[in-house]
Amino acid sequence: MTTFLLIVHGLLAVALLGAVTHQAIGVLVPGRKTADSFVGRMRAVSAPSYVSAIIFLYAATAILGGIIYGEYRIGVRVVLEQLELWKANGAFELKEHFVALGLGMLPAYWYFWRRPVDEGDTRARAVITATFAFIVWWSFLVGHILNNIRGFGS
Amino acid sequence: MIASRSFHSFVVVFPVVYSVTYLIAVQNNYALFTYHPALEEFGPLVQPPRDGPAMYWYGWIATAALVAFVAAVLTRFMPERLAQRLWSGWSWAVPIASMLVFSYMLSGYFTR
Repeated sequence: MTTFLLIVHGLLAVALLGAVTHQAIGVLVPGRKTADSFVGRMRAVSAPSYVSAIIFLYAATAILGGIIYGEYRIGVRVVLEQLELWKANGAFELKEHFVALGLGMLPAYWYFWRRPVDEGDTRARAVITATFAFIVWWSFLVGHILNNIRGFGS
Repeated sequence: MIASRSFHSFVVVFPVVYSVTYLIAVQNNYALFTYHPALEEFGPLVQPPRDGPAMYWYGWIATAALVAFVAAVLTRFMPERLAQRLWSGWSWAVPIASMLVFSYMLSGYFTR
């Protein structure tokens, strides 16, 4: 069951990674709507259209991660400590705190994307979205590396 | 308009108080509840490990969310003049500062 949940957690994380990366690029380096290159089209996405999906995916991925975290604490972290893999352990510790802090930013993220923009809101949108992109990338890479070190069921 | 301004205060104050409370909760282990993964049991407040490790992460999040929600609701009673001057940037500056503090606190993992 944990392996199944881990796979679903990973799939949701992939979707979240794609959505938040598109939105972050769209808001930080917006491009022309008529761009014809791959990168140009990525910069020209409609960033606001990702908000609901990102909120749902972030919450769902965090909740699923929370459900399988107990298994990680017993079956993986202990082994990392025994093998003295301190960097991997520390990277995961950072991941858990970054994700928790991201949960606290979700209401502000939703609010600044839904209301009409003024100058302060534009900056808040951009910085909060970039912060989410960082948290999601960090969490994805750390989760992936740890799973490679010692995946569930190994 | 007043409701909108009140909600603006709510969404600015919530992440600020949440981030600071989470940091304090982790530092001092103020968990609202404890999870014992080996037993698959929850217990109220901070409990010592039983038959395996004890997990406080969920409890820290609950503590931070509860305190932040109460604080954000109380902004409804904030003087109008103060609410108008509340900088929206606090909603991201304080969480980012908290992330940097955590990075510093956990830097020992990367230097040993």
